[in-house]
Amino acid sequence: MSLYTRFPGGIHPHEGMNGKPVTAALPIEELRQPARVTIPLLQHIGAPAKALVKKGDSVKMGQKIGEAAGFVSAAVHSSVSGVVVDVQPCVLANGLQAECAIIDNDFKDEWVKRQPVKDPEKLDAKALSELAGEMGLVGLGGATFPYSVKLMPPRTKLDTLIVNGAECEPYLSADHQLMLSKAKEIVEGAKRMQVAFGIEKVYVGIEKNKPDAIELMTKLCEGDPSFIVAPVPVRYPQGGEKQLVYALTKRRVKTGGLPIDKGVLVVNVGSCYALYRAIYEGTPLIDRVVTVGGCVKRPANYLVRIGTPVQWLLDASEGLLPQARMMIYGGPMMGLAINRTDIPVTKGCSGITVLEKKLMPKPESSCIRCGRCITVCPMLLCPSDIDKAMRKSDFETAEKLGAMNCLECGACSWSCPAKRSLTQSCKTCKKVITEKRRQQRQREEAK
Amino acid sequence: MKKKKSMRSVFLNGIFGENPIFRMLLGMCPTLAVSTAVFQGIGMGLATTFVLVFSNLVIALLRNIIPDKVRIPAFIVVIATFVTIVDLMLKAFIPSLSQSLGIFIPLIVVNCIIFARAEAFASKNSVLLSVTDGLGMGLGFTVSITLLSACRELLGNGTLLGAQVMPETFQPMAIALRPPGGFIMLGILLLIINASSKAIVKRREAKAKEAEL
Amino acid sequence: MQKKLIVSAAPYLHNHAATTQRIMLSVVIALLPTAAAAVWFFGGNALMLIVVAVVSAVAAEYIWQKLTHKPVTVSDMSAVVTGLLLAFNLPANAPWWLAAVGSFLAIILIKQLFGGLGQNFMNPALAARAILMLSWTGLMAANVLPHAGQWAAPVALDAVSVATPLTHGATGFTLWQLFYGDVPGMIGETCKITLLLGGVFLLVFRVIDWRIPVSFIATVAVAYFIKTGTLYSMESGAQNVLYQLLSGGLIIGAVFMATDYVTSPITGIGKLIMGVGCGVLLFVIREFSSYPEGCSFAILFMNVLTPLIDRFTGSKPFGFEKQENPAKEAKA
Repeated sequence: MSLYTRFPGGIHPHEGMNGKPVTAALPIEELRQPARVTIPLLQHIGAPAKALVKKGDSVKMGQKIGEAAGFVSAAVHSSVSGVVVDVQPCVLANGLQAECAIIDNDFKDEWVKRQPVKDPEKLDAKALSELAGEMGLVGLGGATFPYSVKLMPPRTKLDTLIVNGAECEPYLSADHQLMLSKAKEIVEGAKRMQVAFGIEKVYVGIEKNKPDAIELMTKLCEGDPSFIVAPVPVRYPQGGEKQLVYALTKRRVKTGGLPIDKGVLVVNVGSCYALYRAIYEGTPLIDRVVTVGGCVKRPANYLVRIGTPVQWLLDASEGLLPQARMMIYGGPMMGLAINRTDIPVTKGCSGITVLEKKLMPKPESSCIRCGRCITVCPMLLCPSDIDKAMRKSDFETAEKLGAMNCLECGACSWSCPAKRSLTQSCKTCKKVITEKRRQQRQREEAK
Repeated sequence: MKKKKSMRSVFLNGIFGENPIFRMLLGMCPTLAVSTAVFQGIGMGLATTFVLVFSNLVIALLRNIIPDKVRIPAFIVVIATFVTIVDLMLKAFIPSLSQSLGIFIPLIVVNCIIFARAEAFASKNSVLLSVTDGLGMGLGFTVSITLLSACRELLGNGTLLGAQVMPETFQPMAIALRPPGGFIMLGILLLIINASSKAIVKRREAKAKEAEL
Repeated sequence: MQKKLIVSAAPYLHNHAATTQRIMLSVVIALLPTAAAAVWFFGGNALMLIVVAVVSAVAAEYIWQKLTHKPVTVSDMSAVVTGLLLAFNLPANAPWWLAAVGSFLAIILIKQLFGGLGQNFMNPALAARAILMLSWTGLMAANVLPHAGQWAAPVALDAVSVATPLTHGATGFTLWQLFYGDVPGMIGETCKITLLLGGVFLLVFRVIDWRIPVSFIATVAVAYFIKTGTLYSMESGAQNVLYQLLSGGLIIGAVFMATDYVTSPITGIGKLIMGVGCGVLLFVIREFSSYPEGCSFAILFMNVLTPLIDRFTGSKPFGFEKQENPAKEAKA
């Protein structure tokens, strides 16, 4: 395929017996509503939303309960109708506490008044961005970047839109099943963005392990020459923004930059669908597709209301298999291990993966400088050197080595024969360096 | 903490506490170069001791007269005098040793040990203490270089002071007599000494703790 | 019912096929045909040397780690590899204690004293070989004619009467003999067939990178082509490229020694530099020094340069652009 350019690095993580092959064939089923939802006000990158409700308020489905606070922030909506029990800090998947609205479900499913956009064809970038902000749209691929910012009228001219249906993360099939059941809506959502930004070419990037989705999408896009369905090879992290942009357009996104700088807009299929619903139904983002996979008795793809506790999903999947020892919020490569099941599903949660102990790595040993981490790093970094710098708390060296460019994809840790936690070291470096930069900026502002 | 230095502690300091070779890593040039045979090692050690003692003596005597600004040239003149004496004496009485030590006898002038003791000790302490210090340091140097050269001669030649020690079947390890062998052997000795002194300190501390309990 | 869930850092999938132990094991497997060839050509003494070297290397590692109260990592097989490589670098008539002393030097002096696996600055087997060479030059002379298929140890011949293939002016060996291994030399370096077989095995299983062996051998080939102008010749003795490539320790060095992970550069360009550097140094030592062969010294020299090479060949992150406009950055 001349269309595809191989991005540097990358791996082929094997998934074992109950990985993608199992969940990929399971159609989306709507999950029963829980009796109580816990909706965090921080489900996105940026500042937490400001609560609009207080204890005792009754809310309707889709009612805005948190307002975007600041430029990079997103609104939060109630996913059920009922009564607010409390607004209090709760533990989220990353182990930190964040303000959450806890709502008792009355199971009436009373919607707020929804208002579809009158003239969808005439939406421009500004209106799209405002709508996305109002509807609490964030990137559903995992980064949860607020769409009110992403869809802002850009300074540079955009010429390419990439609809990201690669879903390279093992075990997860949420996007795959969404493409199968809502293909028309996804294409429609993408078209609105294409029109709004005056984009010439739209690529739909789908990994080749989803032939049914590729076929369906190709059929849908036949009439429109500007839409190109691009099957991309199965290679992790193919779904990474920069990797997909390079693979389809040969453009290298600048270090520290965004695809927009190169005239490319990358949108996850789930976000396309959410945008479609926001435009044509006036529905805010209150549910999403979540794959429950791995060592559960009945793996499934669920349409889940935001705020549903993980336990509810596990119950629906009839509980864990006896060998289950790790529960991961998200996919096994980039997700977070959790040890409690009262954590709510948020906008960025694409799956709950349960793994067995067999998959745990052996204890780490000395680095033998084999260079495998360098070969697989999609960002051309040297993870082993960053790891060494981190262990010496030498964050300046780590910064020089480009630690800030790390995608946190996990390819280095996956391939390390000494089983060193290279990805974690890069993450630590990123956190420390970000904090240092923030402090420095504060100092400079104080002057 | 500043106690009056006793002669005993100053003397022992040179051999153990601040052993010039194994503790301070001073005078590495002659140490590595001439320690290929015990005889040479002892000769080098004694020559250095002689220079140390007398230069310390003279510098301590003159310590209040030498102006601070020119003290380094002054030290060098004093040291060079004694080195010349040693050099000429060796040439006269032990020409074989003089021959094998060669350039390293005149080079004692720039030996760090002597200079360091002049600067750090003799120029600040009384004559008697300075002589004791020179004696201690010199002995420390002699013992250390003899130990090193004994190891090297034993491994590299199978002999000690020229006498066959190892059994006839022993195949000498020639690298011990070469420059890399000097470095390796010094490193190994340092390892042993550091490890054992650490162990001693640890045991002492454990004992002290026991006594406390 | 409530079992404890394990919480650890992402990612949660790992390549269980890649472990240090497996890498070392595959190197050992790649070396086994050569070990068999060594025994075939040089008889029982070669077998004894291999066994002694491997056993004493493992023992040295075990003893040292026990003595220093460090976790015992003998099971990672790295000491076995070191022992095997060291044995391959001994002549057929070497006494047993030479193998033992060499192994102890390699493991304790070169590897463990510098911090153990992954920290040594030189290839342990090669450094130990260099020490043995400098210490017992006579015992390390590879002047033993192989006698294939016989058990008894071959008799050491007078260095003057038997010239190794690289002794200046030697012509007594055909290219086929050199390739097949029927020449005097260290026990593991003569049979090029098994060495190349092992190299292909390692390349296929991606244990080693092609860059170092290819650039190393290619550099030597180019250098000798410039010098001699003949690619191969059945008559004209040592003065052709193929003869030089098949002589001495070049193949074992390029495939098994220079590719040692710990002591070779980690970046792609760095590996090429390492290979070219080894090749140039090998040519220089063979042609202009008093040693007939310089593979081990060439590799040791480049080992020492490795940190420097790594430092100057670090890659730029994906998407790195040189002309960064600070004004634009500030606006963003």
